[in-house]
Amino acid sequence: MNPLFRIFLNHVRAIGCGALLLVNTCVQGQPAVSSIRILPVFQSQKLELNDKFYPLENGDSIQFETLRFYISDIRFYQKNNLVFREKNSYHLVDASLDSSLIINVNTNEELAFNSVRFYIGIDSTTNMSGALGGDLDPTKGMYWAWQSGYINFKLEGKSNRCKTRNNEFMFHLGGYAAPFNSIQEVSIPIRHTDVIQIALELDSFLSQINLATENSVMIPGAQAMRLSALLVNLFHVRGL
Amino acid sequence: MKKVAAAGIILIVWLIAGFKTANEISFVIPKGWPKPVYDFKKNPLTESGIALGRKLFYDPVLSRDSTISCMSCHLQFTAFAHVDHALSHGIDGRIGKRNSMSLVNLAWSRRFMWDGSVNHLDVQALAPMSNHLEMDEDIKNVVKKLQAGPVYPPLFQKTFGDSTITGERLLKSISQFMLTMVSANSKYDKMRRGEEKFTEQESNGYKLFQKNCGACHAEPLFTNGQFENNGLAVDTTLNDFGQITVTHRQGDSLKFKVPTLRNIEFSYPYMHDGRFKNLSQVINNYIRGIQHGPTLSPKLKNGIYLSNTEKVDLMAFLLTLTDKEFLFNPAFSPPNK
Repeated sequence: MNPLFRIFLNHVRAIGCGALLLVNTCVQGQPAVSSIRILPVFQSQKLELNDKFYPLENGDSIQFETLRFYISDIRFYQKNNLVFREKNSYHLVDASLDSSLIINVNTNEELAFNSVRFYIGIDSTTNMSGALGGDLDPTKGMYWAWQSGYINFKLEGKSNRCKTRNNEFMFHLGGYAAPFNSIQEVSIPIRHTDVIQIALELDSFLSQINLATENSVMIPGAQAMRLSALLVNLFHVRGL
Repeated sequence: MKKVAAAGIILIVWLIAGFKTANEISFVIPKGWPKPVYDFKKNPLTESGIALGRKLFYDPVLSRDSTISCMSCHLQFTAFAHVDHALSHGIDGRIGKRNSMSLVNLAWSRRFMWDGSVNHLDVQALAPMSNHLEMDEDIKNVVKKLQAGPVYPPLFQKTFGDSTITGERLLKSISQFMLTMVSANSKYDKMRRGEEKFTEQESNGYKLFQKNCGACHAEPLFTNGQFENNGLAVDTTLNDFGQITVTHRQGDSLKFKVPTLRNIEFSYPYMHDGRFKNLSQVINNYIRGIQHGPTLSPKLKNGIYLSNTEKVDLMAFLLTLTDKEFLFNPAFSPPNK
């Protein structure tokens, strides 16, 4: 790249970043960072936990209490060629924790890429690697104690459609051992921007579940596999 | 001046390295034993780590109401099994589903629990900690309790370089202590090393053992680490089908982990549900009580036949697996307050 053009570009980015208050992408001389912002969405709006009751058809309603899941092995591709793979790439995304909704990927240099790929969940090798730290620490509430393994995706809440105690539903999707390895790969086409914003739209997940009959999945198995497969289509790139 | 600085740096590096080697402990593999399964590189044993794990092992703080420690079901003098209890009991006097397993030679174990539900030694302690019949606690809360008290932060500091307590550090230190529980000094081991001799009865029992039992209870660990259906009749009050609950594979029905026979003299009662109180009941069941079914271990399909004398000889051999140095090793006993 022409050095003058690079300086020009950095200036443009600095101005742009200043406006967006994204400090980490702007400091000159620092390694390049691509930020991935996860935006949990329900009924076309940013997902609100706990207090908000969302109306459903037939006068029913639904409320969400927990949305947590792992994003792992983030990779950037340019025309199907791998240009960057994050090391130790395990990120626990928690809808109740704003800081967890932005994942800063340190790419070391400016890269051109047109798609980002990652997994929802934790790979089987990691699942068999004993006690791990950081986002993988078993205190994070995403590790099954009675049967070793990570919960890849957790969604909990209430709906009057669930004829359960307190109308609760609980989806703890996971399982790493064949034939119930439930990890899912997501591939999203993007234009290279400083912030990649990816919406996670819960609508299509819930529209494919009959909450009256399917409201509690807590173990690896065929049901966890079926529901995990739905997760892939929930992720879409979204303009800022 | 530069020379002084360089010497200073060398001295500091030497001190740090020296400290590290003084604290780190290498795991000794008994002669002729296989390579351990446990990856010590990811959790190097240290003097302080083992001491911390030992303290945690004996501390009821791991349970919801501080009444149950690991020791409650794993006592040293019964080979770290639960003496005299068919099914282990936990918090509020609640009775568990299975007989607690003996804790020994864990560095060589790939899967844990009778049904293999735990896949790594580090995460083993999580299961009893959170089981509502055992300790009924959450590791997150244990970490909080330990971090808040005066006792543990300095011990974590000593082991991990700072006083932050995490689930990973907690579990890894418990692993460190458990990994040191190696039993390799029984009469059998001493016979193998040429330090002691078997009696004629023990020798004969050893031959019978190798012929009839050794395929599953493979030497020198006295387990092949596999899951087998050893032909026990289903106890309909428990309806425990073993490994199938974990794998969902029909072929794993009624399979349970092959337990080690080391220190078998003291780890009674026997089997996953503790149904047999003594070794002659166990041996008699292999001779007369095998239930044939689709998942029965192929090694048992032809039956085991032993005369009364042979039974006595086999028993004499099994007693040579007792390792008093292990059962009374002060390094494994509750730490001084």
